[in-house]
Amino acid sequence: MIDGLTGALLHIFTPMPFLYVLIGTVAGIVVGAIPGLSGAMLIALTLPLTFYMEPVNAIVLLIGMYVGSITGGLITATLLRMPGTPSNVVTTFDGHPMAMAGRPGRALGLGIAASFMGGLVSWVVLLFLAKPLSIWATRFGPFEYFTLILMAMVLIASVSQGSMVKGLVAGFLGMLVSMPGVDPSAGQPRLTWDWYVLNGGLKLLPVLIGIFAVSQVIGDIVTIGKRMERVETRVSGMLMTVKDWRDQMWNMLRSSAIGTAVGILPGIGASIGSIMAYTTARNMSRRPEEYGKGSEEGIVASEAANNATIGGALIPLIAMGIPGSVIDAILIGALMIHSITPGPTLFITNSDVVWAMIAAALVANVVMYVVMMGSVRVVARIMYVPRTFMLPVILVFCVIGTFALDNTMFDVWVMLAFGVLGFAMEKGGFPLGPFVIGFVLAPLMEEKLRSGLMMTAGSIEPIFTRPLPLIFLLISILLLLLPAFRAWRVARSARRRLDARADGASS
Amino acid sequence: MVITARWALGVSLFFILGCLAVLWETRDIPPGTFEPLGSAPVPQATALLIIALSLAVAARSWRTLTGGERDPAPEIVDEARPLDAVVTGVLTVIYVAVLGAHVLDFAPLTALYLILTIGYLIRFRVRGLVLAALVAVIMGWGAAFVFTRLFVVDLPGL
Repeated sequence: MIDGLTGALLHIFTPMPFLYVLIGTVAGIVVGAIPGLSGAMLIALTLPLTFYMEPVNAIVLLIGMYVGSITGGLITATLLRMPGTPSNVVTTFDGHPMAMAGRPGRALGLGIAASFMGGLVSWVVLLFLAKPLSIWATRFGPFEYFTLILMAMVLIASVSQGSMVKGLVAGFLGMLVSMPGVDPSAGQPRLTWDWYVLNGGLKLLPVLIGIFAVSQVIGDIVTIGKRMERVETRVSGMLMTVKDWRDQMWNMLRSSAIGTAVGILPGIGASIGSIMAYTTARNMSRRPEEYGKGSEEGIVASEAANNATIGGALIPLIAMGIPGSVIDAILIGALMIHSITPGPTLFITNSDVVWAMIAAALVANVVMYVVMMGSVRVVARIMYVPRTFMLPVILVFCVIGTFALDNTMFDVWVMLAFGVLGFAMEKGGFPLGPFVIGFVLAPLMEEKLRSGLMMTAGSIEPIFTRPLPLIFLLISILLLLLPAFRAWRVARSARRRLDARADGASS
Repeated sequence: MVITARWALGVSLFFILGCLAVLWETRDIPPGTFEPLGSAPVPQATALLIIALSLAVAARSWRTLTGGERDPAPEIVDEARPLDAVVTGVLTVIYVAVLGAHVLDFAPLTALYLILTIGYLIRFRVRGLVLAALVAVIMGWGAAFVFTRLFVVDLPGL
């Protein structure tokens, strides 16, 4: 471990890789700070530029973007009450009131320090957990993998915004969209409608760029008339004192632990992590009444947790090839584009890439802290870039990026079609996260199921007789039943209240 | 709520139609020869699940729509400019079609597309148009230079 990490750190501190981490982190911060643009969009659009890069350089660039984008949204969340990325929504609750109360520097300083601490804590967990977990995962058979992916799908559907049913529809749709083309297990073309261009299936990049970038651009154009209120703010007093660190340390560590744990769960991203940490901090606070009115603890909890999900989410990606969040699903795509197969053997087959990912997460976190502390005023101005100019330019980048994949215009049309589909899904309340996770994981899921069935001559008995598949299956069933159980409890308590009121009225 | 329900109804009906097409397309796929499952059952099962779940979504959306609920936030609807998205979409489709037809080179076509799209979004205000032209030229020829020379990426067009 020490050798791998030291080697990777030494490599990252050579000029080119460090430049990539720096560019990635700064680009992530800037994009994260612009409302309407997200880290997923940036990373999807940057993927084509990495085709000709060394895999290690490509990955460290993308990790830098990942770290930067989660943190960058803090600026707009605090100064404008517009979260730059969905993961910063909770920061608006206290960051903006504090900024309005004349302490924007303090709010930003707390948020940046908490982000740094969250990133650091989750990085330590990543460092110590990824390898043992990957060694453990090498013992997984096809049925273990199949049920694990099933659990991941149900998990992301159950926690995604809106109804669980819509989350499941989105997840299954993502799976279905990944199926056209020549079936790799049998060599049989399917769902091609005798159209030769579909023999290779729908590629990841056009679908990703369409779903994340184009759909977001369409949505932004629809709301382009919404005026952004310009807030004049003094950004000073950002540096935290020793007393501040001491006062907030427990909150930071607890929120970071929550964020890391949430990140490790497959498919769940930073938004859920920050909401859970914020709720926990409020429940355990001595001053819960201050939450929502500019509480320092609230900002710290939210920002520590959302950054902690990064390291947490990288753990299942590195150890098992299962994305911990939507951005991780795109990172899996990046690895595959560079002919690297994610999974438990990654430490053996591409240890340089794995250690570079781990080292880049640390370096990007430090770079993020320095850049944010030093340039928050400049970044705060960038968020006022007029969207009327920015959005068409992004569309051009989408076209270039998609075309560059295989030099075919078919991919560009696919991207546009998925852009429209993504926009319609979002308007209808269907979350896009499960769609992407389903799209990325379905081929693996089907392959594992079919190879498992080949091993057992068509019997699914091992799912019920082996401990791990059974546990994963039971968790999936439990997650599926949980919303129904919750609804039943709510209905029951409402009924009881009504009965009690009726009894009171009659007596 | 009503707007979301309307979209959800439309989208779920679209999904059902798509899944029916999938079921139709997979009906002739032969069963597996060397493995028990074959190529058809997984897409078929997935399509059936989507149909069942989409029906549930459609039914719930229909209930919301016929339940007499009203849109709670008219100010958001007022700010929405769907026509802008439609016009930008049409311009983008034309841009991609012309790129694919190899009629014009990437740089001039991109510049033209950006001037038209940005120009429309800023309602062709003269002051904004100058800036739009500048952005268009930088993006057209600048991107062509950066992508073909620095990143060695092919661009569509002539």
